[in-house]
Amino acid sequence: MISNILLLLLGGGIPYFFLLERSNKFSSKSIFILSWTLLLTAVVLTFFIDKSHTTPFVIVSFLSALYAIYKATQTTNFYKLGYYFIFMNAPFFILFEGQGAFYSLSLLVSLLGIYAIASFYDKHYGSANYLYVRGITLATPLVGIHITVYLISIGLYPPLPNSLFFLTYTFNSEANILWFVVVITLYFGNFLVSMKVLEKSIFGKKNPDIHYVDLNFKEKFAHFTIVILLILLSIYGTREILLWVL
Amino acid sequence: MGIIDKLNAVKNTVPHYWPIGSFIHHNPLKGFEHLSFKDGLNKAQKTYGGKVYMEPSYYLKFYNEGKISHSILEENLKEVLEEDGLAKYYDLAMKCLLEVNPQWNHFRKQADSKDHEVDEELLAYLDDEFSYHNKERWLKQITKNMTLYEINDILFHRDDKEAIEKSIIEYVARFLDEDQTTLSMQNRELGMFETFKLYEDFDYPHDSEKFVEEAFEKLRVKNKERYLLNHLLKLHGWAGFIKYRSEDPNYYSQQQYPSSLMDYMAIRLYYEIVYLEHREINNFDLLHEYSLKNSAYVILKMIKYKYNLPGKYIDAMESSKNYEDILERYVQEELQLDAKQVHLSNDILKNSDIPLVELAKIMEILREEEGYIWLKSLEDTYIHKFIDEMKLTENSQNERPLASVTMCLDVRSEIMRRAIEKSGPYTTYGAGGFLGFPISFVEFEKAHEQFLCPAVITPQNIVFELPIETNDEYKSKKTINKTTKSVVSSLKNNPYTPYIMVEAIGWIFGINLFGKTFLPQKTEKFFSNFKAKKPQTTYTLDKLSDDEIEMYVNKLHLHIIHEAVVSNSSQKYSQEDLQAIRDHIILGKALSVDISEELLQKIQENYNVSTKDYEFQKLKLASVGFTLEEKVEYLYKFLTMIGQTDNFAQFVILSGHASISDNNPFESALDCGACGGSSSLPNNRALCMIANSQDVREKIAKKGIIIPLDVKFIPMMHTTSTDEVAFYDTHILSEEEHKKFAQVVEDFKKASSIARRERVTQLPYTSSENDIMIKSMDWSETRPEWGLAGNMGVFAGPRDSIKHMAFGNRLFMHSYDAQLDNENADILTRIFNGPLVVGEWINLEHYFSTVDNAIYGAGSKVYHNVVSKIGVLNGNYSDLKIGLPTQSVLLEGEAYHEPVRLLTYMEAPLELVAKAVENSVAKEFILNEWIRPVIIDKKAKKVYSYESGDFKVIKEF
Repeated sequence: MISNILLLLLGGGIPYFFLLERSNKFSSKSIFILSWTLLLTAVVLTFFIDKSHTTPFVIVSFLSALYAIYKATQTTNFYKLGYYFIFMNAPFFILFEGQGAFYSLSLLVSLLGIYAIASFYDKHYGSANYLYVRGITLATPLVGIHITVYLISIGLYPPLPNSLFFLTYTFNSEANILWFVVVITLYFGNFLVSMKVLEKSIFGKKNPDIHYVDLNFKEKFAHFTIVILLILLSIYGTREILLWVL
Repeated sequence: MGIIDKLNAVKNTVPHYWPIGSFIHHNPLKGFEHLSFKDGLNKAQKTYGGKVYMEPSYYLKFYNEGKISHSILEENLKEVLEEDGLAKYYDLAMKCLLEVNPQWNHFRKQADSKDHEVDEELLAYLDDEFSYHNKERWLKQITKNMTLYEINDILFHRDDKEAIEKSIIEYVARFLDEDQTTLSMQNRELGMFETFKLYEDFDYPHDSEKFVEEAFEKLRVKNKERYLLNHLLKLHGWAGFIKYRSEDPNYYSQQQYPSSLMDYMAIRLYYEIVYLEHREINNFDLLHEYSLKNSAYVILKMIKYKYNLPGKYIDAMESSKNYEDILERYVQEELQLDAKQVHLSNDILKNSDIPLVELAKIMEILREEEGYIWLKSLEDTYIHKFIDEMKLTENSQNERPLASVTMCLDVRSEIMRRAIEKSGPYTTYGAGGFLGFPISFVEFEKAHEQFLCPAVITPQNIVFELPIETNDEYKSKKTINKTTKSVVSSLKNNPYTPYIMVEAIGWIFGINLFGKTFLPQKTEKFFSNFKAKKPQTTYTLDKLSDDEIEMYVNKLHLHIIHEAVVSNSSQKYSQEDLQAIRDHIILGKALSVDISEELLQKIQENYNVSTKDYEFQKLKLASVGFTLEEKVEYLYKFLTMIGQTDNFAQFVILSGHASISDNNPFESALDCGACGGSSSLPNNRALCMIANSQDVREKIAKKGIIIPLDVKFIPMMHTTSTDEVAFYDTHILSEEEHKKFAQVVEDFKKASSIARRERVTQLPYTSSENDIMIKSMDWSETRPEWGLAGNMGVFAGPRDSIKHMAFGNRLFMHSYDAQLDNENADILTRIFNGPLVVGEWINLEHYFSTVDNAIYGAGSKVYHNVVSKIGVLNGNYSDLKIGLPTQSVLLEGEAYHEPVRLLTYMEAPLELVAKAVENSVAKEFILNEWIRPVIIDKKAKKVYSYESGDFKVIKEF
C-alpha cells in the first residue's frame, strides 16, 4: 500500500505542481526537472517493487490528469507543457499492468526532447514560450521536425513508441467502465493537446521581429540521440505488439 | 444616412469576384481607383493590412543587378523628398534606401543583443508616436478592424469566430450553389435572407435592412459604416461574389435566387448576436466599460493575439495578474528596441549633424515612401530601355505578304508572333481577342449563352453554333457518354451503392489514374477515342425575319407545353390540341380543347408559357444575328482599329486562343481575358465568316476598304499551353488556294515548335517540347503554363515599331495606326474602353497576387477545393479565394511575376491620346496613374510620360 502511494506520488498521480507553481522558488523549468526525475524514479522502482492499481488511486490520478489537461490548454510554454504531460499520463502509469513502465519511459524520452526544445527557445528567444516564435517550419525546419516528432509521439501517433506501448497495454488489460473512461479520455487528451500545440508552435508566418536560430552541432547531436532512443523503444514496442498478435 | 447608404459607401472596398468558370481578372483594389495609385495603396494597406509593395530587398537585388538605373532612382528619390520638404537630406536618404532600410527589421533583432545608450529625447518622441502611454488610442488602433465576437474570443478564450464564420460559409455556399451539390437547398427563390429565416427557423417579419439596423442597436455599434466594412472584410471573397451577382442583372443564378450584400450582412450579424447572446460582453457599451477597467489586460491580450507579445510577457501573464506592470515592462522594452533601431541606423549613416528625433522622422517618411520610389524606378528603367530600343522612324510600306495573322493582344501571343514573322512572308497584328466584336454565343449542344467580350461590355447580338454535317456518330457517342456519366453519378450519390460501385467498377478508374500519372500522352490519346468529336459547324449570323421569330417561339412553346401535359396529365393531346392551348394562352384565342383550369395555370406559372415570356422570347430572337449594316460596321471598326485597311495578304488569319490543362479549376484564367475568360475562337470565326461574305465586301468597299476577291479570311486557334495552332473553315478555299495555304500551315507548325523551344527556358522542370505537351494533360501539374505572369506592359501602335524587340511573353500588343483615327480619337478610345481596361485588371491582379498572396491571392492550388461551382476554398471551408494562386505568380516561394504597373506605350500624337483619355471609361485609372502611360509622338518627335498629373517629356528625337 505504501509503495503504491509512493508510486502514485512519484508518477504524478497527485497534482503537486499546483503548489510548486504558487511558490516563487520554483520556476517552470525546475518543476519540469523535478517531476521528470520523480517519474523516472517511479519507473525504475516499478522494476523492483510490485505495483498493483487500486480503483481509488486511478480515480485520484484521473482527476489530477483532467486538471493537467485543462492547464495544458492554458499554457504556451514548453516547460509547463512538459510537466503537464507527466501529470496527464499518470493514470496510465498507475493503470497499466506488468511492464507498463515502458509507456512512461517512452513518455520520459519524448519529454526529454521537449525539454531540449524548451531550453533552446529559452536560450535564443528569451523564453520557452512558443506562441511568439511562430513560423518555425519555414524559418528553421529542423527544429520544426523535432518538435513534430516529440509531439506526435506524445500525441500517440504510430509508429512512435508511446502509441505502440499504449496499444500493447490496452490489448493486455482487463477493461471495465473506469478503464474505458480513463483510456479514452486520456487518449484524446494527449492527442488533442499535442495537436493544438503543434499547430500553434510550428506553423504560421515567420515573425519579422525575431532572429531565428538553427540548432548547433551539440544540439543536433542531443536531438539525434533522443530520436534514436525513441526508435529503439519503437522497435521494442513493435516486438511487444507482434508477440501479442502471434 | 440609412443603413443601405452606409453599406453603399463601403461596399466598393471589396472588388467584384466573378465565378471561376469564366475567370475574370480584376484589380483587387478597384474600389480605391478614385485615389491616386500611391494614396490608394496606402489606404488599402490600412484597410486590408496586407503588403502593397515588394520588400526593399527585392528591389535592391534588381538595383545591384543593374535592372534599376541609379540615375533614375536618384531622380525619383529627389522628387519624393522635394514633395515631403526633405530635399536637403538627399545623401542621407539615398544611404538609408540602399543600406539602412533593407536591414531595418534586422536591426531590431540585433538591438536585442547590442548594448547601446539610448537618447532620452528620442525615447519621448517614440513613446508619443506609437501611443504607448495613451491606452485608449492604442486600444482603438488595435481593435479597429475587429468585430465584437473576435474581441470576445481573444479576451475570454472563446472560439466563436470559428463557429460563426463556419456557419456563415456553410449557409452562403449552399445558397449560392450552382449545381455542384446533389441536394440543393430548398426555397432559394425567396431570396437569401428570406431563405435564411427558414434555414435557421427564426420568425422575423421584416427585411434584411431592418434586421441589420436592429442588430446594430443590440450590439450598440457606434461607427456603423466602419462595422459594416469590418464584416465585409472578414470574408471578402464571398462578399465580392455576392456583390458581383447582385449588381449583374444578367446573372442567371441571381435572377433565380436573389441575394444582396444587405442580406449577407444580416446573416453575419444574426450569427454574431446568437453566439454573443449569453456571453459576458455582448455589446460595445459593455466592452468599452470592460476595457476602461482592464485596459492593460485587454491591450496585452490583443498584442498576444497578433503574435507580437514576446514569450516572457506571455509567461508573466500566465503566472501573475499584475497586468499594468507587465504592460509597462513590455512598453519600456519596445521603446528601447525602437530607439536602438534608430541608433544602429545612425551608426551606419555615420550621422552626427541631424538630431536623432529628426532622423527618426526622416526615416519614418522614407519607409512609407520607399516602396513607391523603388517601384517607379523599376518602371522608369523599363520605360527608358523600351524607348531606346524601339524604332522611332516612320514605318515604310511592306510588300504584299502571303498571310497576315491577327492574334490576341495577350502577352502569350508575343513569342508566337515573333516565330511566325520569322517563318516566312507573314505580317502580324494584335487586337483584343474579341476583335471589338462582342457576341453572346450559344455553343453547339449547349443551352446557355456566353458573353464573349470584356466584362465591362454587354453584347447585343446572339450567335448560335449549328452543325452543317450529319452528326450521328457525335450524337451516339454523346448519348453513351451522357448515360455513363449519369449512371456513375447516380451510383455515387445514392446512399447505398457507392461501396458496391467501388468494389465492382472501381478498378476502371484505376486505368485513368495510373495512365494519366505514368503515360499521360498515351492515356490522353486512348480516351480521346471515346470523346464525341464535334461535327463541322457554322454560325447564325443573319437576322431572323419576323415570321421566323414567330415560328421559333411557337416551336419552343409547343415543346414546353408538350412536356407539361405529359408530366401532369394522363390525357393524350394531339399537335393541334397543343397549338390550340398555346394560342389560347399567348394570343387569347378561344379554347376548344378539354384541359383543366389547374393544368392551364400550371403551364403558365410553373412552365413559364405566358404572354410575358412570348414577348421576351421574341425580343431575344430579334437579337440573333446581325443586320448587313452591323456586319459591315463591326468589320470596318476592326480593320481600322488594327490599321489593316489595304495591302491585304491573300490569307487574312484571325486567331483566337484558349488553353488546355487538366484538373485545373483556374483553367478559364488561362483562356482569353478579352472574352470573359473563354475561348476567343467564336468571335474570330464569326468575323471571318462576315468578312468572306460578298455583300459585306461590297458594302465595306463603299466605306473605303477594298478587300480584293482573292483574299480569304481564315480563323485559327492558338492553344497557349502548347503553342499549337489549328485552322478552321478551310473548306472555303479552292484547290489552288489550298496548295498555297499548305505552305502557311507548314510554316506555322514550325513557328509553333520555335515558340515552344523558347518557352522551355521559361517553364520550370521543363527541358523539351514534349514536356510542354505533357504539362497540358498532366493532372498533377499546378502550372501548365505561365499564363499571363510576367506581364509588364502594352504597346498600341504599328507592329513594325517593335517587331525587332523580344519580350519573352511579357508585352501585350495592340496594333493601332493613329493616321486612321479621327479627331475625336474614336479608335483609340475603343482600345482604351476594352483591351486597356482588361489589361489593367490583368496587370493589377498579378501585381497584388504577387506582393501579398495571402491577402489578394488564392494561396496554393494544392489545398484548393471547388465550392458551389463558383470558386475555390482552402481546405474544407474558408473564404472564397480571390486572385491568383501562388503557382501562377511565384516560383519556389520567390516572385516569378515582376510586379509593375502596366507600362502603356501608345504611338500616337499627344492630342489624340489626351482626347481618348477624356472620352474613355478608363479615364479615372489612367489619370490616377494605376497604369503608366507613355506616349510616343513621332510627329512631334517627343516621348511623354504621364506623371503627377502632367505629361512630362522624357525623350526628344
